[in-house]
Amino acid sequence: MTAPLPAAAGFAGTVRRAWRLPSVKLSIAVLAVVAVVAVLGAHLAPYDPLAQDAAQRLRGPSGAHWLGTDYLGRDVLSRLLAGTGTSVLSAAEAVAVGLVLGVVPGLASVFAGRAAEWAAMRVIDALLTLPFIVFVIAVVGIVDNGPHQAMAALGLLLAPVFFRVTRTTTLGYARAQYVEAAELAGASGGRILRVHILPKVVPTVAVTAAGAAGTALLAVSSLSFLGIGVAPPAPTWGGMLAADLGYLAQRPLAPLAPALAITITVGALNALADALRDSMGGHAAVPRPTRRDRRQPAEKEPSRV
Amino acid sequence: MPASPPHRIRTTFTVLATVAAAVIALGACGASGKTTGSAGGSGGSTLKWGWTLPTTWDPVTSRAGNDVNVLSLVYSAITRLDEQGNVVPGLARSWTYAEDGKSVTFTLRPGLTFTDGTKLDAQAVRANILRGRDQRDSLIASQLHNVKDVTTEGPLKFTVVLKDADYQVPALFAGKTGMIVSPKAFGGDAGKRLDTRPVGAGPFVLTRLVPGSYASLRRNPSYYDAAQIHLDGFEVKEITEPATVVAGLQSGQYDVATLPPNQVDAAKAAGLKVDVIPSLTVRVLDVNNTIPPFDDPRVTEALKYAVDRKALLETSNFGIGEVDLQPFPKGHPGYDPALENLYTYDPQKARRLLAEAGHPDGVNVVITTGTPEGLPEQLQAQLKTAGFTATIKPIAPAQHTQLVYVQHNVALAPDSFVGRESPLQALGVVFGPEGLMNPGRNTPKALLKKFDEIRTTPLDDPKYVKRLREAVAIGVKELPNVWLFSTPRIFARSPRVSELPRVAAVQRFDGVRIDAR
Repeated sequence: MTAPLPAAAGFAGTVRRAWRLPSVKLSIAVLAVVAVVAVLGAHLAPYDPLAQDAAQRLRGPSGAHWLGTDYLGRDVLSRLLAGTGTSVLSAAEAVAVGLVLGVVPGLASVFAGRAAEWAAMRVIDALLTLPFIVFVIAVVGIVDNGPHQAMAALGLLLAPVFFRVTRTTTLGYARAQYVEAAELAGASGGRILRVHILPKVVPTVAVTAAGAAGTALLAVSSLSFLGIGVAPPAPTWGGMLAADLGYLAQRPLAPLAPALAITITVGALNALADALRDSMGGHAAVPRPTRRDRRQPAEKEPSRV
Repeated sequence: MPASPPHRIRTTFTVLATVAAAVIALGACGASGKTTGSAGGSGGSTLKWGWTLPTTWDPVTSRAGNDVNVLSLVYSAITRLDEQGNVVPGLARSWTYAEDGKSVTFTLRPGLTFTDGTKLDAQAVRANILRGRDQRDSLIASQLHNVKDVTTEGPLKFTVVLKDADYQVPALFAGKTGMIVSPKAFGGDAGKRLDTRPVGAGPFVLTRLVPGSYASLRRNPSYYDAAQIHLDGFEVKEITEPATVVAGLQSGQYDVATLPPNQVDAAKAAGLKVDVIPSLTVRVLDVNNTIPPFDDPRVTEALKYAVDRKALLETSNFGIGEVDLQPFPKGHPGYDPALENLYTYDPQKARRLLAEAGHPDGVNVVITTGTPEGLPEQLQAQLKTAGFTATIKPIAPAQHTQLVYVQHNVALAPDSFVGRESPLQALGVVFGPEGLMNPGRNTPKALLKKFDEIRTTPLDDPKYVKRLREAVAIGVKELPNVWLFSTPRIFARSPRVSELPRVAAVQRFDGVRIDAR
């Protein structure tokens, strides 16, 4: 027997509760700015981010170049703005891949039978053992060093997080009384999934996605720092950071700009995810499996939907 | 029972005092270490060299031209190159060619020994040359394929018998090809350990090796030129982050270190000495003229006009070095001054050539590189002006050898040619039909003929330099590689270290002293 479910006010309620927190307001404000810059960065840039001017290279901040110029005389501010879109979209791509590869098998593992559940669990366990950076380097070494290949590899390693969250949440709802009632009333498996399960799973997945986005952005920056993913001269935060480190003698403060962009954005994403999770905490809509359910985890639900 | 407030206060103070004492003690240790470090950190006269460790300590299987610098610390070669690039005695004190140039007899210095105590005699040299020629995984075999046999006449004399006349042998023996390893160290199972346990007759003996980190060496008192070695010990330390070299020198982590060009001013400002030593290294674009669009000679010619070498030198190397359109640096016997203005930067001419080649709207190319920042980005911008739309394809640095030198499936790749002791050997690498840096592998017949002429010309013959330069001219004009600029070795050193010898072929430490504090 499972606990009764609270109303599906769930996500909206969670957002309302979270919005009362100053950290959420600050995070949203930061992420809104990042989003605007990601979309309009190239247009906001005062100079062409790829335009080289050897006579102006490695200059410090000035009226003409607010954040100075890099080793090829390119305007750092323009590259930072233009690089926002590349960095954020890469992270979003990885999260999207992780979502698809995690959520779908996560749902399937609950409903598709014991063999599928066992196989999915073993694959996820195996993926969890792999370190992000090493795995992505290995993948791009085998296939090709491109941004989409790198993000696909990264997304694959983000999938276990989504898988586990989706599976745990779904497992709870699949045993809820109202789901059993819907089954008895003759609702199809697809309808139960669409109407009774997915809406409850989405808030938890959304919170997970916010946290994963922070992880992905950090990983994307690390990878571009290592020269993996987006190729120069396209600007990325990680790539700018790596290049600036080679010229510390000329411009010791230069790495601060991309480093702060990474830190602030990742911090905002993590703060938002934490606040949303905490706001869900006492009102978590996930009914916990009963002891009987835990003893017989896969006997009932797979054949029903 | 809970402690009373006074007890808690005392306990707190006790804990804080203990922690404070520990912090002070650790700080003192740190400060002590720092003081030692700033004093150079060297015990006695041990010199710490910030450089790179070799791919292996076996000269026969060494995979990088750069390895020769560290291998020279533990091995002596049959000959040496002096600061002017002339071949001078090494283990051999003299040599004489037969009239027909088909054999050369070397006479060794007397009393030579390896660091394992065994004698370094003609038999040992013979065993080394034949090993280099015949060992299955030898990477110097191609340089010794002309060696028919090596005969010995007593303990000090050996004759290299050649299939065809070749006057380059003494120069060839100044590098890895001529480094002599104790036969006891490469016979049987011992050979498998040679990559980490070298036994030679060089100025130093390897005592400790931590792969990827450092190698410790001590002075070899039995080295034939030991009077020139004033250092008791030597440490080769891998530079993990070039941006920290100046800090490493200031802290005493290194006494001498190779310096990125952009840190020269910072090193001088920090009170360090900077040596810019001519080297045989020249930056180059490897071009495979069997891959479109470079299979059309007009496109490769356009590429040569599309590159602003001076701008690349100024930006990539901070102006240290010289624009160089050929594989030898200025001052080398093979350097041909007549080629200096051959391909001056002319993007309009490049566009015209592309149009003639059927690309009036420009052409797409891919720059494949393990270090995409810097030169490739600048090159991409220059090529755009000349009608080449270039995409940069980053690869792992370790893939460069496989893709460019072995598989030959890369059309355009920035590279560096580190030079060779024998000029003909160098030309073979960059222009020869089996040359690593001739990915198209199509050497003009006229150049092959010139190679034969050089090989059969004694080095002191006035025609030798002329023929060398003629070969260079053919290679530069007929083959697709684009030569950019020479790059000297740049070292920063502690003021305690005396000036370094200025030998282009290999970094030596003869005569170098370090003041003990």
